[in-house]
Amino acid sequence: MSKARIAARSLSRLGKIAALCLPSVIITSQVLGQANAAPVAPGAILITLTDAGCQPGSVSAPEGKTTFQIKNESKRAVEWEILKGVMVVDERENILPGFAQTLTTTLDAGDYQMTCGLLSNPKGILTVAATDAAVAKPSAMELVGPLAEYKLYVKGEVGSLVELTRKLTDAVKADKLADAQLAYAPAHLRYERIEPIAELFNDLDGSMDSREDDFDKKADDPKFLGFHRIEKGIFADKSTAGLAPIADKLMADALDLQKRIDDLAIPPKELVGGAADLIEEVASKKITGEEDRYSRTDLWDFQANLDGARKIVALLDPLIKKQDPTLDARLHENFVKVDALLGKYKAGNGGFESYEKLTDKDRTALKAPITVLAEDLSTLKGTLGVE
Amino acid sequence: MKWLWDRRLRADPAPSSGRAEGERPQQPGRRGLMLGLASGALSVGMPGSSQATPAGELAPGDDGTQDFQPFHGSHQAGVITPQPAAALIVSFDVLAADRADLERLFRTLTDRIAFLMKGGDAPTRDRKFPPPDSGVLGPIVFPDNLTVTVAVGASLFDDRYGLAKVRPSQLVAMEAFPNDELEASLRHGDLALQFCSNTAETNIHALRDILKHTPDLLAPRWKIDGFLPPHTIKKLGKETVRNLLGFKDGTANLDASDEELMDEIVWVRPGSGEPEWTHGGSYQVIRVIRMFVERWDRTALAEQQTIIGREKASGAPLTLANERDEPDYPADPKGERIPLTAHIRLANPRKRETQANRILRRGYNYSRGLSSAGQLDMGLLFMCFQSDLSAGFLTVQARLNNEPLEEYIKPVGGGYFFVLPGVPSGESFLGEGLLRAVG
Repeated sequence: MSKARIAARSLSRLGKIAALCLPSVIITSQVLGQANAAPVAPGAILITLTDAGCQPGSVSAPEGKTTFQIKNESKRAVEWEILKGVMVVDERENILPGFAQTLTTTLDAGDYQMTCGLLSNPKGILTVAATDAAVAKPSAMELVGPLAEYKLYVKGEVGSLVELTRKLTDAVKADKLADAQLAYAPAHLRYERIEPIAELFNDLDGSMDSREDDFDKKADDPKFLGFHRIEKGIFADKSTAGLAPIADKLMADALDLQKRIDDLAIPPKELVGGAADLIEEVASKKITGEEDRYSRTDLWDFQANLDGARKIVALLDPLIKKQDPTLDARLHENFVKVDALLGKYKAGNGGFESYEKLTDKDRTALKAPITVLAEDLSTLKGTLGVE
Repeated sequence: MKWLWDRRLRADPAPSSGRAEGERPQQPGRRGLMLGLASGALSVGMPGSSQATPAGELAPGDDGTQDFQPFHGSHQAGVITPQPAAALIVSFDVLAADRADLERLFRTLTDRIAFLMKGGDAPTRDRKFPPPDSGVLGPIVFPDNLTVTVAVGASLFDDRYGLAKVRPSQLVAMEAFPNDELEASLRHGDLALQFCSNTAETNIHALRDILKHTPDLLAPRWKIDGFLPPHTIKKLGKETVRNLLGFKDGTANLDASDEELMDEIVWVRPGSGEPEWTHGGSYQVIRVIRMFVERWDRTALAEQQTIIGREKASGAPLTLANERDEPDYPADPKGERIPLTAHIRLANPRKRETQANRILRRGYNYSRGLSSAGQLDMGLLFMCFQSDLSAGFLTVQARLNNEPLEEYIKPVGGGYFFVLPGVPSGESFLGEGLLRAVG
């Protein structure tokens, strides 16, 4: 996941560079001063900047994604901005005279202004209308509260992760096998609860939570580190021999993760999309029992992914209910169904029985609410208008 | 394979009959060859082959994507429907919570299958949401000769939905025969869907559409793809398909266009002692039969032919000249011409008393990955239909148990299912009779 995201980021960066380079490329191939021959993008709103201002001076657009084509017919290079009060919502810089650029941006319904060349020029007016009579999508402002609360939750979980990982790694280094075994699942589940956020840090995710299948030499690969390497040592090999450096690295990674999360501004799409990510984890991995193959503590992580998703749904609950009460009700209903099935396997220590105790019948029965949750949560970003 | 599939691909006046020729106007030599084959087929009395469309008369772009089979009818499509090139079998656990949920499942299946077999605009939604259609066939879903056939397994009649008292009398979980090693991950199921169409992508599109609409109702349990050579299919019965042992398979299969024969052999009818709701349905046997092809390829041709009972090249029964020549078993009581243990002789002894054991076969080749030993995992996706499981498959299989061919094959999966009767009109739905039978 994180790799894809990084790739997407660098792609969009490349796109920006390409867009910026475009005019100069064209200069070499066209007569200077001649208007850019780029065709108007289909459906784009065309705005021409003259020395006197924007033409037209007032435009309207539907909410959502809109493409603007800005053509500079003034005598100087200009920048073009969409403003909401004093905030710059989006902009195109350095549009050379005689050239056009496009800007595709997503706008909520409301009144905006456009800059039109010289600061002394009157600002243009941009009106973004709600597309349908349905309830207006929640504004970015409405996500501020849930985002802040989620940040607190993630910080709390990563704090516990640090504390419990220390307990695990201390036990490993002190060769206390039984203590280490007891400490494994409670520590790892903290990671699983915040997995979509933890996975933003690709390098740490690789060293903390890889599985032996990720490596050429499987479990014998020296690059196989982290929770599952320790899990293999203490549950499958039943020995702490050679694990001390791996324990040290895991502890250092946990502290690093904590620090990075402290500095992280969680983007709305990670919050809203995170619930679906967590349930996809359950649907594709936890239900098969491949996550914790040495300790058979998969159900702890099953619950942890579920808890993480449920936390997000709880934080967004008022917004979801406002947009789609049926969806909201079905989400709760299916969380309850999963709880009831998983509840049968709760053990006294606050955790769960071995994955092997999970009957075929219950494993099959779990698929119904999990698959419905996966389908429903996949619509959450769309429902809340988060892209 | 337990017996050689398959229905002889019938000559059929479908537009595709001329397509193979029409597509290759630049290859007159090949066309000449095919016309030669057609006249050969005429000489053995293949019906309809004279209707083959001459080359060049087809509209350009007639690529088979608009071919379709009707959904409504007293029987489901996909049983006696001519076999297209691609098959996909998926067996499911039914997740429906109660009988009302089960009805929702059957109604949903009815709606989706009716749409998918007909085609039309793929459903869309605001781009902020995941699209409701996978898009595998593009924005306009084309039928591509698709059939989706719904069959139920014995386990659907357990205590969950109160259906026990209307279970088809012979529907049970498949028991392993002496040579079987049915893998837990490849056997049984509450419900099976058989997708057949011109292309694998069309089957996959249909499966994904159905999964998208039934997240809380169906969980796939196992699945397997099958294929037949499109070039043979295009010849419309003039040639018999070869299986992955290299032998022609299906020469003696029943003529599925013979309605009377199908009523007798395939469809459950009144007077059979079966519950009334089953009338118009059929018992479906699915067997995943792995072939040890490396070993087979290291077996002398003479021995291969002795095991099967046919000439490998021509398909003719041993000592006879042509594929469709009838072996005279009474004149060969000691098996000097065709061994008594030859596959074709055991599978179909051609006696009056074994006429009742006939079945309609619908086999496909399959190929998956490799075995744990690195050998090819491929074989026959055997399927057959009959109104009486005991008189049909079970009797034939009993004759085949311990046949010499078993050294080269291993049934590794499958199950018995019952194909629901058809949906006669738009008001009805698949399984309605079954549900109404219990109130």
